[in-house]
Amino acid sequence: MGGLHQAPHFHMTGWEILVQQTINGLTRGAVFALIALGYTMVYGIIELINFAHGDVFMLGLFISLAWFALLGVTGVLTGWKLLTLLPLVFVLTMLTTAALNVAIDRIAYRPLRRSPRLAPLITAIGVSFMLENVALLWKGPAPIAYPDVFPSVDILREWFGIDSAIFLTTKDILVIGTTIPLMIGLHYFVTRTRWGKAMRATAQDRETAQAMGIDVERTILITFFVGGALAGAAGLIQGMYYNIGMWWMGYQAGLRAFTAAVLGGIGSMSGAALGGLVIGFLSAWSDQYISARWTNAIVFSILIVVLVFRPRGLLGEASADKA
Amino acid sequence: MTALARIALVLALLAYPFVDRVLGLQTVHAVSDGMIYMLLALGLNIVVGYAGLLDLGYAAFFAIGAYAMGLLNSPVLGSPLYGHAWSFWVCIWVAAAVSALLGLVIGAPTLRVRGDYLAIITLGFGEIIPVAIRNLGDVTIEIGGWRPIERLNLTGGENGVNPVGRPHLPGVPFETDPIPWYFLILVIGALSVWAMSRLRDSRLGRAWMAIREDETAADCTGVNPVSTKLLAFALGASFSGFAGSVYAAKLQAITPGAFEFQVSIMLLCMVVLGGAGSIRGVILGAMLITIFDRVVLSQTTFLVRAIGRASGISALTTIDLTLWRWFFFGLGLVLVMLLRPQGLAGRRVRPVAAETDDDAVVPETPAVTPRKEAIPAWLRARAGGVDGNEAVLDVRGLTKAFGGVMALNAVDLAVPRGAIIGLIGPNGAGKTTFFNVVTGLIRPDEGHITFAGTSLVGLRPNAIVARGIARTFQSIRLFPLMSVLDNVLVGEHCRLASTVPGAVFRPPSVIAEERRARERARELLAFVGLAGKDDDLARNLPYGDQRRLEIARALATEPRLLLLDEPTAGMNPRETDTLTDLIGLLRRELSLSILLIEHDMEVVMGISDRVSVLDYGTRIAEGTPAEIQRHPRVIEAYLGTGYEAEAAGRNAPR
Repeated sequence: MGGLHQAPHFHMTGWEILVQQTINGLTRGAVFALIALGYTMVYGIIELINFAHGDVFMLGLFISLAWFALLGVTGVLTGWKLLTLLPLVFVLTMLTTAALNVAIDRIAYRPLRRSPRLAPLITAIGVSFMLENVALLWKGPAPIAYPDVFPSVDILREWFGIDSAIFLTTKDILVIGTTIPLMIGLHYFVTRTRWGKAMRATAQDRETAQAMGIDVERTILITFFVGGALAGAAGLIQGMYYNIGMWWMGYQAGLRAFTAAVLGGIGSMSGAALGGLVIGFLSAWSDQYISARWTNAIVFSILIVVLVFRPRGLLGEASADKA
Repeated sequence: MTALARIALVLALLAYPFVDRVLGLQTVHAVSDGMIYMLLALGLNIVVGYAGLLDLGYAAFFAIGAYAMGLLNSPVLGSPLYGHAWSFWVCIWVAAAVSALLGLVIGAPTLRVRGDYLAIITLGFGEIIPVAIRNLGDVTIEIGGWRPIERLNLTGGENGVNPVGRPHLPGVPFETDPIPWYFLILVIGALSVWAMSRLRDSRLGRAWMAIREDETAADCTGVNPVSTKLLAFALGASFSGFAGSVYAAKLQAITPGAFEFQVSIMLLCMVVLGGAGSIRGVILGAMLITIFDRVVLSQTTFLVRAIGRASGISALTTIDLTLWRWFFFGLGLVLVMLLRPQGLAGRRVRPVAAETDDDAVVPETPAVTPRKEAIPAWLRARAGGVDGNEAVLDVRGLTKAFGGVMALNAVDLAVPRGAIIGLIGPNGAGKTTFFNVVTGLIRPDEGHITFAGTSLVGLRPNAIVARGIARTFQSIRLFPLMSVLDNVLVGEHCRLASTVPGAVFRPPSVIAEERRARERARELLAFVGLAGKDDDLARNLPYGDQRRLEIARALATEPRLLLLDEPTAGMNPRETDTLTDLIGLLRRELSLSILLIEHDMEVVMGISDRVSVLDYGTRIAEGTPAEIQRHPRVIEAYLGTGYEAEAAGRNAPR
């Protein structure tokens, strides 16, 4: 994903650059966070690093593109069309990727629930290869232009008349304005609903949850459904924000998002959100102040340092090893 | 494998390149490259298969090996090494050493990190190293206008290192002929497999597998998890150093692109696909993936097109399956794993003898009364006579709080030499916490633990085992996928001395030590009544046998104090009687001190010299069994008022 953010104006002052890169970091981080939630939920419940998740995000971008095309949207949406079609595409995309994610679990992971732990990891890698190949054959090897469906307005100049080099657009608001409700919704779902409670119980202790009458398989299905839906939303947001999609973007985004999940403490949802934002900020600042070519090394170095001092991530719970 | 098959395999390997030449197949290059990846997969197998540490960045070691060769043998313009090319035969050892060193660096964070967090750290290093190699091709340091280093090329950057020098041997045409390369790699590969299989069957190999099976139990059996894991990383990495340096010299050029995350993933697939932990399986997995990748996909395109032409289906004649390469590769991974989740080479982690019914459930052995004569002589020799009544273990003021809960509150407890001390109390009273603190799993908040005159506070569990305290666990913690004999041998770990070179080269001293260790383990198994079950997997033993195996493993550490956590839980009355006899025998004959947590009142009151009672972390009573049974607070808190009436005490609360 690196290198696709808005380049700062060349005549910016030092603090304007910082603010601009922080905005970039926030939008990047929001997308990472949405993907990271899918990693962390699945890991929390079946202890699987779901390598295919980044590719579900990538397919989410292309699927949303297909839904827009199906609805005849090729240019900027305005007025009532924006208010109806955009939410519709959100729902359709999220349902599609959710179904895809559930199908992946059913076919490639579910038969391996009682197998050695490395077996589902390898099938996850296999599924990841397959999804990338499907995208390659579907969209071709070149980057795909994503239509500018969301109106882009330079907020500071056009709405407030402030002449600043900082470039804050309605698209930035879109990213934040969709991510935050999704996360609040997820939080509500996990803490307040029956299914959410079943999810948390299963994540803590699958056998006890089963003994208490929770349908564990159904709970896992719901987890994959929700994770896939969030990845689809992230793909749609990514497409609308950066206006470009590549078949290979799932790998890099998945890697960063997984890193975010681990940084925050894998299994912890607030940790995934926090980790996503931290990685977003770090990568944006590193691009600006050090060098984009070192960003990956810097992000991973910080991750390693954090894990050495906080072995269970920023918000992960320390679990004593009981004898 | 029979001797005949072995000879046939060697002959086939030796004859292959010449047959290839006669037939004009020109596959030797590709096969040699495949063998390099096979060697890499075998190195990764040490980390993943033996030690059970998930490594997602193994290509980093490959890169370091290749660049060590590249930079020493063909210095990049501008590097300080320029103009001093070293011989291939020197570089290959340097590369292995540098890779092993990096293994230690990457392994170091594992001292604190467990499980999949470790995986992400290896993944991080796997990402950092190619980035560093790319960027160190053009280093400029600027300090306020002064540039001490300007455009320094350390690694060749994106363009890599080119050319890399080839090996020189008089009369061997490494420049023009692929066959010497094939034999060079074959020799390195064969030596590596030889070294790996010897490591696997050594003291160190058993320690790796014990860590993989249950790190805490291994720690409490005397295996140092820190050094064991670091050795897995370092040795696993050293093999990739060999592979990387040969790769660099064979290709004569290296670029950072050859060491990306995908390579690590591919190697991991080779290991798991074939069957992690089995050398034969990993070789099979590496062969399959290489052949699939290089041969099947390109050849099937021709095949499908030919079928299309023959059958007149025009759609098939234009198909290009290479576009579907990753799809079919991914599909292959999924299908193999779904059909054989344990890998192609089967479940057997250490293919020793019989490959067939290795996973059959073992019938229960009838509980035999332990006999005095069956006590192994060496164990008796270690014991020494009873001298005096001084406390072997002396615990004072032991306090441990979890949050606001006082698990242990200023507990005092002394175990005199050769005594059996019972520790009882309701569930959650802090009995197991007491064991965990004494064995070093949990650090106490306050208090002193003195064992044979020295303090134990702050020591790691494996160091405490080495001083002579062994334990069993409330919920049995054996090494389930290791053989019964190996479980006991892990117990002897801290009493054995063989090192890494010793394990590989097997000097007479190591052979003698290993033979003695096996004899002792068999004697111990016979003593606890598990004779003849050496090769069964521990997890296939019936419950009572598992309990006894755990005691045999604890005895193998040559303890002076044995901590038994509910040893008779879940046993039938006959098994309980046998075990009680065994405990009494150990005390009588070996003057072993025993601290016993037990809910079966008949057992505790029958064999204990003194009994301590814990309730809510506090010791509420201490005395002889008779005193304890009459103690009003004990009756109130634990035994219940009906206890005295029930002569047998079988219904004591559990």
